[in-house]
Amino acid sequence: MGATPTGGPAPTEAQIARPLHAGFERSAASFPGRPALEVGGRTLSYAELRDYAASLAATLIREAPGGEPALTAVFAYRSATAFAGLLGALMRGHGYVPLNHNFPLERTRLMLEHAGCNALIVDTASLLQLEELLDGVDRPMVLILPEESEAAALVARFPGHTVVTAPELEPAASLDPVEVDPGDTAYLLFTSGSTGTPKAVMVSHRNANHYVDVLVQRYSVTEHDRFSQTAEMTFDNSVLDMFVPWQCGACVCCPSRKTLIKPGRYIRESELTVWFSVPSTAIFMRRLGALKPASYPSLRWSLFAGEALPAEVAEEWLVAAPNCTVENLYGPTEVTVDCLIYRWDPARSPGECEHGVVPIGYPVPGMTALVADEALHEVEPGTEGELLVSGPQVSLGYLRDPERTAAAFVVPPGHDAIHYRTGDLVRRPADPDAPVPYLGRLDHQIQIFGERIELGEVEAAIREESGVDAVVALGWPVTTAGAGGIEAFVADPDADAGDLKRRLRERLPGQMAPRGVHVLPELPLNDNGKFDRKALMKMLEEAT
Amino acid sequence: MSKVSTEEIRSFVLQELDEPLRALGHEPGELPDEFDLHESGVIDSFGILELITALEDRFSLEIDYENLDPEELTKVGPFARYVSQQTAGPA
Repeated sequence: MGATPTGGPAPTEAQIARPLHAGFERSAASFPGRPALEVGGRTLSYAELRDYAASLAATLIREAPGGEPALTAVFAYRSATAFAGLLGALMRGHGYVPLNHNFPLERTRLMLEHAGCNALIVDTASLLQLEELLDGVDRPMVLILPEESEAAALVARFPGHTVVTAPELEPAASLDPVEVDPGDTAYLLFTSGSTGTPKAVMVSHRNANHYVDVLVQRYSVTEHDRFSQTAEMTFDNSVLDMFVPWQCGACVCCPSRKTLIKPGRYIRESELTVWFSVPSTAIFMRRLGALKPASYPSLRWSLFAGEALPAEVAEEWLVAAPNCTVENLYGPTEVTVDCLIYRWDPARSPGECEHGVVPIGYPVPGMTALVADEALHEVEPGTEGELLVSGPQVSLGYLRDPERTAAAFVVPPGHDAIHYRTGDLVRRPADPDAPVPYLGRLDHQIQIFGERIELGEVEAAIREESGVDAVVALGWPVTTAGAGGIEAFVADPDADAGDLKRRLRERLPGQMAPRGVHVLPELPLNDNGKFDRKALMKMLEEAT
Repeated sequence: MSKVSTEEIRSFVLQELDEPLRALGHEPGELPDEFDLHESGVIDSFGILELITALEDRFSLEIDYENLDPEELTKVGPFARYVSQQTAGPA
């Protein structure tokens, strides 16, 4: 398949064999006084953020000197501690595991336990949940609470664990550089799994550096750029938000959750030069009347990823941000954020869209794409198949899950390299120079606000909570970008729909929790004897 | 677009959100003016879109929210007042 017409040379192995935070460290040395991060009304210079992170790293070394796993959890949300925490984990030689206090506690506990972390960096806003989170965690944990100073009360609240507050942090200067193997895990992120348990994707320093280097070159990022930071750290779009600007001395402008409700104002007030979000955010802005002509002259790049990008949204965005170039980025977490990119061209692109959806384009330099049939043989040009991707961004697989790793990370016949099976349906272009179109999913995975959700995981949760086997979860309403939410069907007329919905909300994070639960005497079956999803979809259509 | 009162908008919003409000333990009739639907977890940004769409369908409105302060978009009282003012046409 054709290589991207807009990419430079691929990063070399020598270039990417470094710790993920090396780019940040270099910028801190070159631009110590420049802003590295704006968050919560504060601006932290590179020197300040570096010192905060180094202090956390030195404290981690003092309190948790070694042992497995080499992972530190960061339980912090849109705060200086969240960013310094993950940099501190990296400087300590650990991978970071981001946790989010807006997730149901049960989910966060499952993530913490699956990762097996022994150290946790916590900000004040997340501290409220900490007691409950640690309830049932048997091993002693190191709890670093850098925003707190009342040590005595906190020590009493967390018996059996080591509590470190601000006065006990190590000074930044005491940190000796830690050697990092570039093949080790730099971050661990959880994605939805069809069998009911999420999968923990291990992404190495080398994987992430390849991605960051490709983007830094592609977008000619400089220390004068100001990046949006819309993605939660539990979502891998945040890797672009942070590590691309930090490699170049640019500023990460992190909005509060509240500010994100009006993204247009955020772009203007933060004078952003690079925008990156899921297409749903642009669709939201359009609906609020925020895509008026020339509203965002400061933007020079507008990047979208995480779900299908509707062509009309790309067109309108370009009118609102006339000085920018729009790109559609594509990739699953398992292949390190994004591995194919398409550049929107107002003249050519409308003719390259299918069903009003912007193509996902071409593999980035260094990565290759293969469109294969079920036996993993490449399909003929012009034929549909599953997209497989290989190259230096193919991640290490799923933590402690060899079975699911082996199923998804495969070597197709006639190839030597490991390819990741994306489960995404595409077409091998008939013309080798044409972009790859995105056609949908091969399974029951859906995307809501860019989050990939396995309906099987939602159904497993419904089954457990309801005690009923016959259940179906559907993405609804259907949008060009994906779905707006999830609706659940349960074959048990005696079930309490309201109670079930509440319990699912306590268990499943954000978009994964069904917005509606429908109890029916039985679920309709299709000719194959399977649950008739189309009939259920029709039922929802008729109800609206 | 004909004038719709703040009270009409407010009661429509509360009626639309009756279920999620009650699920979170709020009595829709007793919500303070400054109650924030987003901060309190009653709606996310997709919920806001759904609410706006339902509201505009119900009252045959077309509202531009660009001039509404982000702080106020998700607060029951200020939101209802803004929408009502927009229906009154140019001052």
